[in-house]
Amino acid sequence: MRWGTIFFALCLSASSESVTSYTNNVPPGESGERYDEDLFIRPLLDGRVATTFTFTTDLLGNVSRQSESSGQHYTLFPLTLGQILREYSIAELHLTLNSGKWNYDHWGYPDDPSVGTGAELWAWMADGPSSTIDERWTGLRNALAGLFCASLGSLDTRHTSSPSTVFPISFSSSIPHGLRYANLPSENVCTENLTPFVKLLPCKSRAGLATLLNPQRIFDADWHGLSIHLRSTEVGTELKLGVQAVFDPVRLSGGRRRDWSFRLLFDRIIHDSCLVATSSVVRVQIPDSGSHTLSPASVVDDNLTAMYNLMTQAPLDVSMSWPHEHTFQYPHVHESRLTPLSIQRTLHGSSQIHGHLFIALTNNGHHDIVVGYFENLPALVTLWMHTMEIKVDGTERNELISNVSYRPHQVLANGQKSPSTFQAILTVPASSTLHLSMEISRAFLKYTEHPPDAMRGWDLPPAILFPVCEPAMGICGMQNTSAGMRDRMYTPTLLIDLPTPDFSMPYNVIIFSCTLITLIFGSIFNLLTRTWVIVRVED
Amino acid sequence: MDALHGFKDVQSLSFQRPIIRRLILGSYWVVILFAIPFWWRLTSIERIALPSNRVHAQLEKQPVFPVNVQLDGSSFHGRASLLASELNELLAKSTRTSTRWNNLDIHVTLDQNAARSVYTVAVGNGTVVRHPRHLILSQDDASSATKIADVLTGLLAPEASSRVQRVVQYSKRYRLAFTLLNEDVTSDQLIHNWDIHHISPVLSRLSVLHDFLIESQVQFHAPLAFEPVQIVSENSTLYGLTPEDLTVFVNSAEWTLSSSVSEDPVLHFLLFVPSSSRRPLHILDTQGSPTQHAVFLLPQWGGIYILNHLEHVGTRTHLTAVDLSLVFSAFVNQLSALLGVSDLPHGVKSDDPSILSDWQVDAVLRYRALENIVETQQTLHSIVKLVDQIKNMPVDETVRGDVQNALTALEKAYQSTAGLPSTILHWSREALSSASHAFFNPGMLALLYFPAEHKYAVYTPLFASIAVPLVVALGRELHAWRREHRTTAGKLVYHIQS
Repeated sequence: MRWGTIFFALCLSASSESVTSYTNNVPPGESGERYDEDLFIRPLLDGRVATTFTFTTDLLGNVSRQSESSGQHYTLFPLTLGQILREYSIAELHLTLNSGKWNYDHWGYPDDPSVGTGAELWAWMADGPSSTIDERWTGLRNALAGLFCASLGSLDTRHTSSPSTVFPISFSSSIPHGLRYANLPSENVCTENLTPFVKLLPCKSRAGLATLLNPQRIFDADWHGLSIHLRSTEVGTELKLGVQAVFDPVRLSGGRRRDWSFRLLFDRIIHDSCLVATSSVVRVQIPDSGSHTLSPASVVDDNLTAMYNLMTQAPLDVSMSWPHEHTFQYPHVHESRLTPLSIQRTLHGSSQIHGHLFIALTNNGHHDIVVGYFENLPALVTLWMHTMEIKVDGTERNELISNVSYRPHQVLANGQKSPSTFQAILTVPASSTLHLSMEISRAFLKYTEHPPDAMRGWDLPPAILFPVCEPAMGICGMQNTSAGMRDRMYTPTLLIDLPTPDFSMPYNVIIFSCTLITLIFGSIFNLLTRTWVIVRVED
Repeated sequence: MDALHGFKDVQSLSFQRPIIRRLILGSYWVVILFAIPFWWRLTSIERIALPSNRVHAQLEKQPVFPVNVQLDGSSFHGRASLLASELNELLAKSTRTSTRWNNLDIHVTLDQNAARSVYTVAVGNGTVVRHPRHLILSQDDASSATKIADVLTGLLAPEASSRVQRVVQYSKRYRLAFTLLNEDVTSDQLIHNWDIHHISPVLSRLSVLHDFLIESQVQFHAPLAFEPVQIVSENSTLYGLTPEDLTVFVNSAEWTLSSSVSEDPVLHFLLFVPSSSRRPLHILDTQGSPTQHAVFLLPQWGGIYILNHLEHVGTRTHLTAVDLSLVFSAFVNQLSALLGVSDLPHGVKSDDPSILSDWQVDAVLRYRALENIVETQQTLHSIVKLVDQIKNMPVDETVRGDVQNALTALEKAYQSTAGLPSTILHWSREALSSASHAFFNPGMLALLYFPAEHKYAVYTPLFASIAVPLVVALGRELHAWRREHRTTAGKLVYHIQS
């Protein structure tokens, strides 16, 4: 608290004049590159604090479309990423490494929609004559795996599909592009991923908002994730590096108070601003219910957001406290759900061969919601379409599903099995719950296909709910935010138990069959070569 | 006989006759003996014989580059023919004594109609090299054959001993990565931007040898991994890098310099801007006193320039071409050194110093071709030795094909020594790439880690337990046969005696 007051005093004088001008005196576009950083802090209803760091680098001119012979020259844009873009002709790239389960009901929509557990990678690549999209995809995976120290190399054909309606290209050009999508739910994100991530930032973690990226605190958070979003725009290329984390100050304070500050959340404060950034802003969303104090004080705009300009206000330690609240009272669970849809996805069945996949979508609003549903399941499970049932309040409502497309897994040329994809458009009636169920059968894997620690089970990637525009119904999820979905939503991952052999079995089998063969051989051999005599037994 | 018991005499049964029993036992062993070749064939590793004789023969070979030097008769005022014969004698003698001359076969002639790749020598006002492959000697240098021989030696076969350590391994393609490093992002003077376009003349001259990809980046925070020595003198404070510091200067943990995309070798050129609190940063000599040098070269890696003088830049954050002219001329020198381009010998000037002369480029071409040929020979020798040593290393058709391609390319390289230097470089490169392709063939590792012990451990329960009754039965049968044989022999003896 003492620190807080000191900084409060220091920054108060500067804050009044700086609220309106956020830009530094660095002329943007001198090198055709521009770097902005932004931290959005959102106190949540359950006492947690969602923080979203966004580091945006804009590059004029498209990297991947330039010819090979001309050199690559960057100032703010990371060269290592530029090389990858150029080498694999990438128009759009999204990589996220997340850990934890995003709680849509209590936390609302995340600021960066990619919150699926584990690693998720999708890229739009140009279909060029020099190499095919699949070759580029392999190269891209390996390059990113090397860059971020993540096991993205294992996102091979067993996990890769091409769902272009779920992940549309954001900027279309005349060159044909192809999409590859893969996810790896068992991938864990940790310090070894954050370290190379921070190195892509111009100021690294020495100055600016990235100072706060303390791995010990980020990876202690209830939910945390890293993301890289790279897309082509009309003028060039936009790179967004993001870190999202949901902290629990109540836990950090020993279960009593929900007050938070940079010092408490990150164990650090910002001492210096990143001088090469065009803008560097901390935004704090103000909770509806008053009685809190924010320090240093700031002007709150219409969207209930307080802003701090790091360019003029460094050093900075923002803190928010509820002085009249002795102990934080957790709100009731059913109070209000922050997203129009609540999702549940479960696996049922005790048998090792069969099972049931259940999806329950609850519409919390008063309008029907039309959503797309997408599953990208590895060949560990097979969905049986004829067993699909859609029920609302126990009655079958088959008219609520449309545009079903199912692509069962196939054996590819390299002997691996491609994932099966299931895609459909679901209409969830207002204030009710839609149940979708399907029978599944579990794969019987070969002995060598089992991973180490096979008894743990296999992670199934999250399903994705995506907004759809249905012209026939006149509703577009993107436009009508109150009735539809704003952005993609991810279901939690599932853990599936497959028939797992006793791994000492092969040796036992060899020994058993050898013994049996020897026994048979020995008896026949003896029968054929022994001398038979009649033994006379004396009376 | 034993009709009473209802039994036949077992000895009278057909299969109880010893001959049948022995046939059965024999057929078991025949099957086993016949199966052994099949078993051997099925479990053996494919090892195609490599042309090892040709490889060993290659080791003795050395390419010889014929070089024709033509003296301009008119400018030597009639001394030309005498000089030519003297030069031939001198150069032939030094060829025998010096190792670096081994691969050159220099002929000095007066013939105007010599082959294409000819070097011409004339007398003029100063010792200057001219385009193409032309040397003008000053009156002084042209005075005696020894002096002319010295100049020619320096041009045609520059001293190679010092550069062996620092020259990067040959590659068709290099990435040249220029990095501007600001030591501390919170420093007062931060350089945001720089112009880099000063090296194309050198690169275009070297394009016969290499393709270059140029990349540049700016890093705003590149801390050193160590604390520079602080030296306080009476009127100033400066910071120093000891020779030991230079070896660990590149902080590869913090500076993102590596590429994860390409396998092309990278040559790094770093422009390091020390933070304002650490300026000036000088290189110290072994005694610990500061030198005026701001440039150093990391052998086979790249070059580093420490930019201390930023006074004229003022408050600008952009370094212009003018600001960087010194820096890039240093980088060009470092690039030449790393690529094995030697300087012109002392006392010889170039009429266009901004580009490399043909003499220098030819020397590099010969040096690189020779390097590739030696490397290929060694690689091929290693493959043959390795295959000989490791008995269960598989050798398939592709490996042999690659080895043969490498040998063919080597032959072609030898044949083309008289032609353009770029042709021999082409064939030597082909040879080297085929040889390393063979050496790194992944198929050669396939069965290396599946030792025979594992097979025995798995199959012994079967083979041992089957072998025991077979061997015992054979032994018993042999024993019985021998006893039988002895008794019949004894009977025979008895008959004779009786």
